[in-house]
This record gives sequence, structure tokens and C-alpha cells, in this order.
Amino acid sequence: MTAPTALVRTGSDRDLAADHRGSPLPNGAMIRTRMMELRKRRGLMWALIIVFVGIPTIFLTVRLIMHGVDPKAYQPAGGYDIFNNLISAVLFILGFIVAATLGSYAGSVDLNEGVFRHLVVTGRSRVALYLARIPAGLAILVPIVAAGFTIVCAVCCFAAPPKLNFDGLSVPSGLTRTAFVQYAGAHPGDVVCQLPSRDIPINVPCGPNGIVTNPKRLPPGLKLPSHTQLVSAAEKIAAQNYRAYSDAFRVPSTSLMIKTGLWVELEAVIGFIVGLGLASLMGQRTVPVMIMIVFSLFLTPLLVHTVLKHFINVQRLIVGAAMARIEPRSLSPVYGSNGPFDHTSIPMSITASVAVIVGWVIVWTALGAWKMTTRDV
Amino acid sequence: MTQVLEDVGATPDDSVAVETRGLIKQFGGKNAVDGVDLRVPRGSAFGYLGPNGAGKTTLIRVLLGLTHADAGTMSLLGYAVPQHRDKALVRVGAIVDEPRFHPHLSGRDNLAIMAAAREPAAAGRVESSLERVGLSHRAQDKVAKYSMGMRQRLGVACCLLGDPELLILDEPMNGLDPAGMQEMRELIRSFVAEGRTVMLSSHLLDEIERTCDAVAIVDHGKVIRQGAISELLSGTAFELNIECSSPEEARSVLAPLNLAGGSLEISEGAIKLGLAPDTKRDVIADINRRLVEGGIAVYRLEANQASLESWFLEVTSRLGESE
Repeated sequence: MTAPTALVRTGSDRDLAADHRGSPLPNGAMIRTRMMELRKRRGLMWALIIVFVGIPTIFLTVRLIMHGVDPKAYQPAGGYDIFNNLISAVLFILGFIVAATLGSYAGSVDLNEGVFRHLVVTGRSRVALYLARIPAGLAILVPIVAAGFTIVCAVCCFAAPPKLNFDGLSVPSGLTRTAFVQYAGAHPGDVVCQLPSRDIPINVPCGPNGIVTNPKRLPPGLKLPSHTQLVSAAEKIAAQNYRAYSDAFRVPSTSLMIKTGLWVELEAVIGFIVGLGLASLMGQRTVPVMIMIVFSLFLTPLLVHTVLKHFINVQRLIVGAAMARIEPRSLSPVYGSNGPFDHTSIPMSITASVAVIVGWVIVWTALGAWKMTTRDV
Repeated sequence: MTQVLEDVGATPDDSVAVETRGLIKQFGGKNAVDGVDLRVPRGSAFGYLGPNGAGKTTLIRVLLGLTHADAGTMSLLGYAVPQHRDKALVRVGAIVDEPRFHPHLSGRDNLAIMAAAREPAAAGRVESSLERVGLSHRAQDKVAKYSMGMRQRLGVACCLLGDPELLILDEPMNGLDPAGMQEMRELIRSFVAEGRTVMLSSHLLDEIERTCDAVAIVDHGKVIRQGAISELLSGTAFELNIECSSPEEARSVLAPLNLAGGSLEISEGAIKLGLAPDTKRDVIADINRRLVEGGIAVYRLEANQASLESWFLEVTSRLGESE
């Protein structure tokens, strides 16, 4: 140790008055240092990067290589379908879990590592100590999600197939209703066999290459409809599917990408804040992360997919139902639907879904802050 | 007085850094802190001494607002707490239990996190604090690689970030080797020399005696005695150790002296006399003269004041008898 040298008293009374020690709002330095603390957790950062950037990048790179090697056997790497699948399977569901894990870390790490009490004895408001974690965590999470999403968008746009793949039907994109119906009339077998229909009485045997026309392969007693009947049915089916068709794209539109990006970011933010609140409430991270995984992967899909008649208002309070309600319509329903013509299962207004989301953010933040304020440390 | 503390937030007594009155903290109906009245003088090194489980850390946690008190009043640097806790803690640096930090961060980064929770000037004290505790050369290393002694020193550096008037250190000698203890002792004394107040809890009587000016003895949550160490020990008996050629003969020579309340023990080559606290120095000279005149060679004669340890044991054993 060095010889004792008196510390210079550099803090003036004005300095002390300006630091608002008892204020519930965190200062910039608290947010910056908290962000630094999270950023230097390499394992956690790698998990975030792998899920949000690594998985989409690896998946798309493999597809790019395969298509480059054998374009006839392998579809192009990008396109609307790939965009749709990566968003719902990776960025939305897995992203929520990883964001919740980051939140759980941020919410419990000071307690677990015994640092919280040292922060509390500075006299700084416990609420401020808690709230500092939110902008710090989001400052890490949001750019990583944005980076992964940008990669997905770029590949899906620039390496898209030349034609739209609509429910397995290769069809030109951007047709008007009339043009789409005319296209169906010109390709009745493909349309009748590939597209879903409702209340159209036509019964045809379908094989891998469309309608089975070889009489030897027809089921006994089945009579093929006439060409006129087939065209008529195909046009009706096309009309029924036009709305879904108009929401499907060869490449995701700019508008869809912006909406989807914001939606995925919102899901990650909710995951982070719920994880933060739950971990602060419980004082640990393992159980909250497990709860979030079960909630996200099993409970939410189960409860959002099926309407329980007498509990529908309870189902509306599930944040997953609210997020499904504000999901961009051009995406496939993330939690599935009751059929091709029913986008969401739990009927609720946009206002109600926004209220549920805001409520989740506020309630979990408040619960976490309350526990950190009242906890003996 | 209590009303003044609560309403104004300042105590009229500027000579006291920490004051508690009738402080009680219960866990499961049992008093971990039991009616503690404590006065820590400003500018002193004050030892809060007691065995493990005596309630030392609990008292510190209550003082710092880490847990609430069930009854009583308290103030830090003149501010009533918890009412004016944020103002009171501005000039307080504290380690509670062992100092713990984020192990994946360097010592410097950990201090930066702590400084961010303080006033803006605290960030400018990170380097001087590290230098003060001798950790500048290891500031970039991860805390996971620090020894216990280095963590203790980092804890002290953390306390210095707020340029504190009062440092509260909970068992600061824990885990330190003798050299580390010596360094910590010097550091604490240097703080006191600068006019800061240091309140440290410990179960190491010897360390408290060497480091502190004043002490409070606590057991089962209660403060048994408190005051300046010199005053507390002034009323205690002391021992006279005499190394001589014939202890048996010495006993017979000294028997006519009839030393009031004195005990006498003989061991090989030495005799140990217990003397009353008010024994005058002339008596010691008289003992020496009688031994020499009795033909006994005196090789060494040493008067020892009772140590804090023996005093502590005496006090606690008396307490045990009265119970």
C-alpha cells in the first residue's frame, strides 16, 4: 500500500445536490456502467448473438450455398416464405426466451453476486438502481435484434425466388383479384388441389402433379368433374383465397419489414422486462428463465390457440394473445389459427391488445421495483 | 431530541458520528439487536466487538438501511435514518459482510459501477482510491482472480469513492494474513488521522485493541460496555511477572506484604502476581527491593495491564454468572 495521502474532497455541496441521490430516476452514468456490466458477460452476449444473428445467418448461408451449387434442386435462399418462417420460429419465439434470459440476468445478478447491498449503501434510491437496468439492457438487446432482423431482410429480398410460392402454388405475385381468378381458371387442377376452400362441393383426387386423371389410378366409383365444373370451382376457390394471396409476397414488402421489425423488437422488449421483473421478484434467475420457457413455448400457444368459452377474458390478458393480435397480417399466425381464414384465435380489439401489452410492462416493472425496494439485503 | 432528529434530520451533537437509541431488530421473534444505545465519537476508530452471531452485522445492516429496525432511533453523521438516509449516506462508505463484486469485471470496472451510484465527482476518485489501497497495478485484472485480501482492499477502495466522513467496515480483517492485517490497520489509522471516523466490527479482540480508540462490547445483541479502550481498561487489575532465581523463596519473602486482592502463581523460574487496579508504583519498587534484600536474583520484572481480551472474558464471564 502507498503512504497515506489524504483524499482531496472533490465533491462540493453543489455536486452533491445535483446528484439527486434519493430520486427514483437513474442517471446516465448508472445506465452506462450497468450496460458495461451486462456487455462484459461473454456467455450471455454470445447467446444473444447466436439466437438473433447466428441462427438466421447460418441458416441463410447454407441455403445460399446449396442454391448456388444446384439451383434446380434447391430453392433460392430468400423470399417471403423464408422470411415468414425465420421470424415466427426464431426471432419471435426464441428471441423472447433469450430476451427474457437477459432480463433475468439483469434482474438477479446484483443480488446473486452480493453487489446490490454495496449499491444500496451509497444512498442511491433502490428504484433508481432497478430502473437503470431497463435502458441498459435494452440498449444491448435492441441493436442485436435489429442486426439479426436486417440480415434476414437483406437475404430474403436479394435472394428471393422469381415467382411467388403461395401455399405450394407457384404463381405470379401482385395480381389483382380479377387476374388471380383468371389465373385460377387457367390452372384449375393446381388451384383445386393446392389451395384451401370452404363450402365448395368438388371432389377430385390429387397427386403430386395435380389432379389424377389416369382412370386406372382413380378410386373406385369416383367420377371426375367436367372441365367447366373444375374451372368454376377453381375460380371460386381463388376468390376465397385472394385475401391471403394479397398478403403473400415473393419478397417481403418494405412496409411489412418495418412492421415486422417493430413487432419482433416489441416482443424482445416484453421478454426482457418480464424476465427482469420476475427475476427481481424471485431473487434468482434459473427458475424465472424456466418459467419463461414453459410460458412461451407451451402455455401461450396452448392458451392462445384455443378459445375457452368462459375464460376468454382471461385469455385476452395473456401477452401472447395481445402480440398475436397486433402481428402484421401478412405474416403467418405465430401461434397458429383456427383455419386459413381466421388469422387470430382470441378475438380482441387493437386497443385491448395495446392495453394488455402496456399493462404487462408496467405491472412487471412495478413488481420488480417493489420487491427490490422492500427486500432485506 | 428524537423528535428533532426526525423532523429536521440533523442531530445537535456534532461530536457523534453514529448514534442509536433503544435499537431493536427482531428475526422470528428473537432480538438480533436488543435495545442498543451506541455513540460513536467523530474522528475516532471505533470497534464494535463481539463473538460471531452477536448481532454486529445486523446492527450495521440496520444502520445502513439494508433492513429495517423494529424499534428505536438512529442517526448517521447527524442525519436521522431511515428518514434522511439518502443524505446521511452521501458521506458514508461501508462494507457489509465480506466485500463482494462482479467477478467477471476488473477492480476498476467494479469501482466505476459503484461510483456511478454516487455523486459525479466519485468517478474521478476511482484511481486515487485504487492507489490508496495499493491495487493500482491490479486494477485491470478480473476480481475473480483477486485474493481475499485484495477483495478486502477493493472493498475499502469502494468505501473511499464517496470521500466519506464515516467508514463502516464489517470484519475488515477477515481472510487477511498477518501482513495484510498490518496494512489494513495502518490504513484505518490513516483514515482516522485524516479526521474520518471509522467504525469497524470484529470478533478479533487483539485487532480491535491495536486499531481502535473506543470500543463497544456486544453479546447476544446487547451492548455490554462501551467507551474509550484506555478508560475501560484503567479499572482493571494488572499482573506483575517476576523472573527470579527462586520463586518459592520469593513467595515467602513477599507473603508479609499482604497484597490486597492479589493472586499469586508460581511456575518454573517465575512468579506471577495479580495486583489490584489502584496499586501504586511504589509497591512494585518495594517488591523488587524485598526480593533483592532476601538474596533472590531478579532477572526480569514486568507489569502488564490486562488486555482487552482478558477484560472481555472477565466482563462476559461476569455477565454469564449474573444470568
